[in-house]
Amino acid sequence: MLLDPGMDLTLRPMRYPVFYEMYRNAIKNTWTVEEVDFSTDLVDLQHRLMPAERHMINRLVAFFATGDSIVANNLVLNLYKHINAPEARMYLSRQLYEEALHVQFYLTLLDTYIPDLKEREEAFQAVTNIPSIKKKAEFCFKWMDTVQSMEACRTPEDRRKFLLNLICFATCIEGLFFFAAFAYVYFMRSRGLLNGLAAGTNWVFRDESCHMAYALEVVETVRKEEPELFDDELRNSVVQMLEEAVECETAFAEDLLNQGVSGLSMRDMRQYLEFIADQRLGNLGMAKRFEAKNPFAFMDLQDVQELSNFFERRVSAYQVAVSGDVGFDEEF
Amino acid sequence: MDRAYEPSLADPEQAIQYALPTPDPGTGSMGSGEGSAGVTTPEAVGMRVRKRNGGSEPVDVNKIVRAVQRCGAGLDAVDPLRVATRTISGLYDGATTSELDRLSIQTAASLIAEEPQYSKLAARLLGTYIDKEVANQDIMSFSQSIKAGVEAGLISERVAEFVQENQRKLNDAIDPSRVALFEYFGLRTVYDRYLLKDPHSRDVLETPQYFFMRVACGLAQDPAEAIEFYHLISSLVYLPSSPTLFNSGSQRTQLSSCYLLDSPEDDLTAIYRRYNDVAQLSKFAGGIGLAYHRIRSKGSLIRGTNGHSNGIVPWLKTLDSSVAAVNQGGRRKGAACVYLESWHADIEDFLELRDNTGDDARRTHNLNLANWVPDLFMKRVEAGEDWSLFDPKVVPHFTDIYGEEFERAYEQAEAEGLASRKVPARELYGRMMRTLAQTGNGWMTFKDASNRKCNQTGAERTDGKPSVVHLSNLCTEIIEVTSQGETAVCNLGSINIGRFVVGGEIDYVRLRQVARIAMRYLDRVIDINYYPTAEAKSSNQRWRPVGLGLMGLQDVFFKLGLPFDSERARALSRRVQEEIYFAALDMSCELAEELGAHPAFDETRAAVGKFQWELWDGVEVEDPARWDALRERIKTHGLRNSLMLAIAPTATIASIAGCYECIEPQISNLFKRETLSGDFLQINNYLVLELKKLGKWTPEMRQRIKNAEGSIQSLEELPAELRAVFRTAWEVPQRSLIDMAAERGAFIDQSQSLNLFMETPTIGKLSSMYLYAWKQGLKTTYYLRSRPATRIRQTDSSVSAQPGEADSDVKDYSDNDAVVCSLENPESCEACQ
Repeated sequence: MLLDPGMDLTLRPMRYPVFYEMYRNAIKNTWTVEEVDFSTDLVDLQHRLMPAERHMINRLVAFFATGDSIVANNLVLNLYKHINAPEARMYLSRQLYEEALHVQFYLTLLDTYIPDLKEREEAFQAVTNIPSIKKKAEFCFKWMDTVQSMEACRTPEDRRKFLLNLICFATCIEGLFFFAAFAYVYFMRSRGLLNGLAAGTNWVFRDESCHMAYALEVVETVRKEEPELFDDELRNSVVQMLEEAVECETAFAEDLLNQGVSGLSMRDMRQYLEFIADQRLGNLGMAKRFEAKNPFAFMDLQDVQELSNFFERRVSAYQVAVSGDVGFDEEF
Repeated sequence: MDRAYEPSLADPEQAIQYALPTPDPGTGSMGSGEGSAGVTTPEAVGMRVRKRNGGSEPVDVNKIVRAVQRCGAGLDAVDPLRVATRTISGLYDGATTSELDRLSIQTAASLIAEEPQYSKLAARLLGTYIDKEVANQDIMSFSQSIKAGVEAGLISERVAEFVQENQRKLNDAIDPSRVALFEYFGLRTVYDRYLLKDPHSRDVLETPQYFFMRVACGLAQDPAEAIEFYHLISSLVYLPSSPTLFNSGSQRTQLSSCYLLDSPEDDLTAIYRRYNDVAQLSKFAGGIGLAYHRIRSKGSLIRGTNGHSNGIVPWLKTLDSSVAAVNQGGRRKGAACVYLESWHADIEDFLELRDNTGDDARRTHNLNLANWVPDLFMKRVEAGEDWSLFDPKVVPHFTDIYGEEFERAYEQAEAEGLASRKVPARELYGRMMRTLAQTGNGWMTFKDASNRKCNQTGAERTDGKPSVVHLSNLCTEIIEVTSQGETAVCNLGSINIGRFVVGGEIDYVRLRQVARIAMRYLDRVIDINYYPTAEAKSSNQRWRPVGLGLMGLQDVFFKLGLPFDSERARALSRRVQEEIYFAALDMSCELAEELGAHPAFDETRAAVGKFQWELWDGVEVEDPARWDALRERIKTHGLRNSLMLAIAPTATIASIAGCYECIEPQISNLFKRETLSGDFLQINNYLVLELKKLGKWTPEMRQRIKNAEGSIQSLEELPAELRAVFRTAWEVPQRSLIDMAAERGAFIDQSQSLNLFMETPTIGKLSSMYLYAWKQGLKTTYYLRSRPATRIRQTDSSVSAQPGEADSDVKDYSDNDAVVCSLENPESCEACQ
């Protein structure tokens, strides 16, 4: 079983081809920070943003400065150890690379956005200095601590602990904190602002979506193998965890929006968080908790196929891997 | 005083309670945010807005509702209350009235995916907002708008005087009702980027109608002409290209879209001079095509230093940075495409320039790349033979010859052992295909077809050298000769063909009329244009080429209910092109009679009586007699323009006109446009109308189309004919696009920006496709569009984990699941097996 302790090295016969497929698909979506063009962002930051919006963006990038590092740490310290299938670990290795890429992206972003060295250093210390960000980090650490000392998933209790950690990172951190953060970015872009940030975020968003899908697939696999782990207590814990995450993120939103941003009210943001939380519960096959609808049409937009006007943006949609030989009689 | 909303009078409607469901105490939920039942939270009721005069007043739902109602006349499916309540929901306490206005526009726009009529509503709200912004500066007429532009230093003296002298006539000709033709995205684009802005306040100085009139005055010689052209463009049946819309009537009248630069000569001074040319040309909104055929390849000896050259890549890296640095006044980024002949020994490095892995010093993320492919290469590919690569320093003559002459020279050079090395032709072709699949770039453009079927390559130049086409342009629709002394220029405009559908047919009489008017003003641009370099000026005056194109072909097929690859669609597309070509020649001949033929007319193929379609194999025309008559007239008067037709991508102007781009099939029934103005959702209005007729336009249907990424092919309850008509570019056979392009190509004296689409490209499929395109005689192809390998998780669907009852043995898949999973995960979907 997937969570049985050990270091399985056998790829054939492959027990979980789905993870291998996910790994291969991830490879096809390789991007680099160098492709992102921040030139118009600087003009926007200096001339086009309202003070309230600038405050929002400053806080947001401060969160980004540490967010992905936390996820990467958890992956190395807590996930890799217990998910015992080499093909599943291949995906995790790829994810680790992507997290590093995201860290690099936000590092470059902050270096570009904040020219003042002192301010820049402060932004990188946001996790200790800014209470609303600190609170989110503490939430993450809490769920890391519960499994940090665990050597192996031996008992059902261990396995539930592990599942809660996995679910927390997938649905609360990547699936809620990051999704909320993306909402601010896409809100700006829906008005034609900060295209560099949005372009990179688009790729990060795509990666994060895949990470979440992978984690959910792990959960689903474990559920099939060991349905008894999914008892009421586990379900209740998940609901509580998501509620707590919504509260953390609400406090963060209050901090971001406290100067008033037209089109992004606190009321709508809260509703959006509840909507996302419901989505995550749905992803886990659980009942909705908030029954909230998505108030942000611009987030709805993100699901829709893009058609970039190439004069204006790079097309971020090309595939990396391509196969086959030259031939002249294939259908097209 | 904020003029968007009427003052709140005692109004019986005010008695209606819009206050709403109190938040559920159990969950703290803020309500659904949906529907007319509405939503206002207790906080919203106490909210205030700040007015322009500094005072403040409570937010009043009724005022917003009435403003929306006024704009919503005739739009039966819009719900003003819903717009009002949702607007308030997004507002914060203490926002300004102007923020409130903007938010109501955005709110209306956000509902477009549910009901396309909200696009019109948002456009009208925005129209009102723009009118107010202009009127607040005491600009109440077109002539006052020009006056304000003059004071801001934006308008040319000539136009200022012209308008001053004719203000009565011009002001009276303005038709404000035309704003109703806009969809939201089009008007938004015009507002954000085309209307002249005060340099300091950044407020716009013209309404969209004043803007059209300003553009017309910039090209007109008398008021009648100005009004004629104003009517043409403000009715959106024809639009000039963006540079003309940006700059006509302004201080710097750079009105051309494209510049084609010959390869610099193979020395340092020439290479650096070229960077300067590129910068000058792209500063004022021109796109650049630039060849690099003449530059020596890697390892070639540099005599001056006795060192070895690093080849073209470092030069292109510098070009890349230079292009990125020139931002066209914040309105659009500079852009360039580099062309390289397939025999150049650096071809493999060239094909990797856009890769996103590898040494970044050898990558150019901003440049577009195109292969300039000789027939001989394709023949060797087909025959499975070797292909020799050369250093241009060794074979400098290759660049200025084509056809059989090139083939002889190439084979002779091979025989003399001058090649740097040999590769199997198929291997190189495979690499070209790989680049296309991975980057969409590395466009296949065909040197010999482009030269053989170019009107300008008919004879030797007066200086005895042959005229040769060395490259195409940024969008692969321009085919013009270049040399060291001649930079080719083209100014463009496009007919919105969808607007010519009357009673199930195209109105060809009107089409010919419009093509003729368009030609007159395209030709006019040549004389008014500001030329950033001397080489551009001399070339353009000698050849006087223009590029009249087409957009909205897909609209025609939707209006007529024709599948894109149907026989009728094909015949129609060809006929449209034949009519436009005929009308353009006819007008150009008339202009020659009036103003004289272009100076290089004697060097053209037209001078010996050859039309474009006679350069293609076996093409027969509708009415040979009229062509013969025209040929006779051309013999007498010549032509004013050496080239007339080019089908450009029309990305931005199609948005303004609210039509589908170019000659392209739709990308999707539901897609998102990302532009510098923001993201916009585009939904296929034609499909929505059909679904409404069937009573099937429901939220569930919408969601299913969205989940299927804008495809309706899996919605089997819809009639098969409907599904055939509403296929997307990914679902139409590409062979039919190529066939159509070739048939149309016989009536295009330049070329067309032909995108090709392949969901999951493989080397085998691509190599078959491009070989076919070459065999069909196409001059050029453009992007290869493919789709991302994985997708962003959809926010509103639960994709991967099945609900709790997954324990049961039999899984119940909805259509929805099947569609989603087949797209997300083609290999491992149980529902599809």
